[in-house]
Amino acid sequence: MLHMTGITKAFYGVKVLDKVDLHVAPGEVHALLGENGAGKSTLMNILAGVYTRDAGQVIFMGNPLEHTTVRSAESAGIAFVHQELNLFNDLRVYENIFLRKEVTKALGILSKREMIEKTRALLTGLEVDINPTAMVSELDTGKKQLLEIAKALHAKAELFILDEPTTSLNSAEIEKLFATIRTLKAQGKSFIFISHKMQEIFEIADRYTVLRNGMLVASGDISEVTAPEVARMMVGNQYTDAGVYVQRQLGEVVLETKGLSGRGFHDIDFAARKGEIVGFTGLKGAGISEFFSTLFGALPITGGSLKVFGSTQSKHSVQKAMRGHLSMIAANRKENSIIPDFSLLENFYVSEHRLSKKKPLLKKSRELGRFRGHRESLSIKANTAFDMITSLSGGNQQKVILARWLNTGADILLMDNPTQGIDVGSKAEIYSLIQQLSLSGKTILFNTLEIPEIMKVADRCVVFYHGAIHSVLNRADISEERVMLAATNAIPKEEYQTP
Amino acid sequence: MTQQTHSFDRQKQPLTKVLGNYSFILIFLAILAVYLIINAGATTWSGVMNILRHSTVVGIMAFGMGLAIITGGIDLSVGSMLSLTGGMSVVVFNQTNSPLLTLLFALVFGLFLGSVNGILIGKVKMPPFIVTLATMMIYRSLAQYYLRAVERKSIYNMDGTLSQYQGFYDFGQSKLFDLIPMVGIILILVTVIMVFIATSTKYGRTIYAVGSNERAALLAGISVDWVRVSVYAITGVLCGLAAFIWLAMNGAVDPATLGRSNEMYAIAAVVIGGVSMSGGKGKLLGILFGAMSYNIIDKIIAAMRFDALINDTIKGLILLLAVLIQILIPALRSRFKKAGA
Repeated sequence: MLHMTGITKAFYGVKVLDKVDLHVAPGEVHALLGENGAGKSTLMNILAGVYTRDAGQVIFMGNPLEHTTVRSAESAGIAFVHQELNLFNDLRVYENIFLRKEVTKALGILSKREMIEKTRALLTGLEVDINPTAMVSELDTGKKQLLEIAKALHAKAELFILDEPTTSLNSAEIEKLFATIRTLKAQGKSFIFISHKMQEIFEIADRYTVLRNGMLVASGDISEVTAPEVARMMVGNQYTDAGVYVQRQLGEVVLETKGLSGRGFHDIDFAARKGEIVGFTGLKGAGISEFFSTLFGALPITGGSLKVFGSTQSKHSVQKAMRGHLSMIAANRKENSIIPDFSLLENFYVSEHRLSKKKPLLKKSRELGRFRGHRESLSIKANTAFDMITSLSGGNQQKVILARWLNTGADILLMDNPTQGIDVGSKAEIYSLIQQLSLSGKTILFNTLEIPEIMKVADRCVVFYHGAIHSVLNRADISEERVMLAATNAIPKEEYQTP
Repeated sequence: MTQQTHSFDRQKQPLTKVLGNYSFILIFLAILAVYLIINAGATTWSGVMNILRHSTVVGIMAFGMGLAIITGGIDLSVGSMLSLTGGMSVVVFNQTNSPLLTLLFALVFGLFLGSVNGILIGKVKMPPFIVTLATMMIYRSLAQYYLRAVERKSIYNMDGTLSQYQGFYDFGQSKLFDLIPMVGIILILVTVIMVFIATSTKYGRTIYAVGSNERAALLAGISVDWVRVSVYAITGVLCGLAAFIWLAMNGAVDPATLGRSNEMYAIAAVVIGGVSMSGGKGKLLGILFGAMSYNIIDKIIAAMRFDALINDTIKGLILLLAVLIQILIPALRSRFKKAGA
């Protein structure tokens, strides 16, 4: 049905896909596998007409696809179901399905009854229980996903690209999705299924293709491989630079949770020592960001206990966390950290002011003096302290935010994806700063999707799966393969041996 | 190294940027020049001072509006708060014969009315536009209802037979050193205090932070809810002060007309002053000039013997012009930059 051969694509001279092949047969579920940055998304975006290829050939249902655009790919029968769903929340189910293809009577009056009936027939055919007149905003994520598939089906799609469709679904919803996939498969429709979760892949996929660093690693029948083999193919034998790590003497326990539960995670038993660096990782949506936000008081604790420097936090709040010497560098710097109308200096001092509000007056010379120290130790590059924060590079912005929290006298730093949107050079800098901070007695918990970053600095690695701790690895035991096996639950928690 | 540190700690701004930040002064001077030319021979010192005097009531309220707008909100109820607080203050004065108690009452009552807005917006998290639209209707209606149902009058009149009345009224007309109207001095004092709060206190910066990026402000430890409550509460206090000054100047309150459309003039003063309607940026100093600019327009129209009904047309045009200048200056600056590079 689909033959992609020799697909090559470069961005700004960097090859992200190098002669990749992908073949999908009618009625097949094809798992497309690889780490973040392996080239899966680029390949799918080429297929869906979002990007144009530099070289290679695409033949779909016997016809070569040239100069593909999003619209021509759609009309050829390729449907890309994105992670962020493309539905209109404020419209009804049938309105979404018939958007821009409305059935009309004379004078352009909408024939609602006909559209509702056709929608009902379509959804019944898929054995999906959705009311055609419900508002989309009232549907849960699982149903929205199914609706998206129904919508594509209505547009006569033959091949569905599902990009991590199960990330935000619970197990019942996943079962429903798989049932729908099987129904459509029996009708000869094909799926390209992108997921990191091994169990799902082995449950639903017929064939697989693994990409690594933009190259084809392997392709074949799923029945001929095992989950650990696939994980190894994804990771390869990568060289990792242990570079900055320094062995240190750790202090007393400063942060402790017992059975802590909150939004998106549950029953976390964890303790960190003074001066320790702990790397957290897991698939997107595994619950680490929520865990960090809850420790920082930005999300409510729903169960269990949290102890910071030995004192139990009952009614937790951001202000209380700050007074308890906790701080958090949030993920998505632009939305959660940067105050865009403020200068570097103002972005720097806002948080400390919350702790020192008993002295209400702002003294510029005092703030400049404090900032000077942090600017030098973090080597923040800027012309003046009064430059707008938005004029700095991502790496320097992040250092200003780090300075903001060090200025509050925080001893425990939670960093959620601290190197997001930062160039390679600054990433290395951030990690050597983490190392330095730990030497001065700070405790650092950081969350990242990139395992080599954990191998660089962490004393321990905590792997989350589905809102709970899957396993905790000591520094000597951290390897990409091991972490990947845990993060994807390729080896379930019960069978996973912690050496 | 020290050289570098010094230059790092100093603010350097190109002239075009400074001009862009202070465009409200240019607008004010231009309008003032037009007034002086039109009025030519008839200009007197007290005529010019009247600009300050007549800007006071709206100007003081506009500072509250400015705070609300900087947090990303708005307060449509300022005119109605002026009317209700003014009316109630007349009642209090007639009962107590004490200007001081009347001032105290006006401030506390204003604080109460503003806090109602603040709690609904900050704590209950209702949209500022809707909350203050509702209280705009409620407060004015209460002022009118109380007058007719309880006082059984058509206007709130201060009792001229009271011993303190003359002193109170004279205060509203008095001039410092026979030169500057006292109420104008209060406006300038309010300006100084508000600019100081905005630029030189930790609290002032939180107002800007909330308007610039609420989520980041929250995660930086700012109590966003209470910042919101506080700006509407401060607006209420300022409306109370404005009501007291109105009484000193006029001695009576007609609740049906006092403060009508003042919310619109206050918003316009804030916008001409260069405060961004999307929140997070702008200088409070601009509000003084914005309020005075609008007042001069009244005087120009009177001097030219135009029908007063043309007033809002000209004010509307000036508002559009002011916003146009604020858009054009940054655009010109970036064009200069490109040409330079």
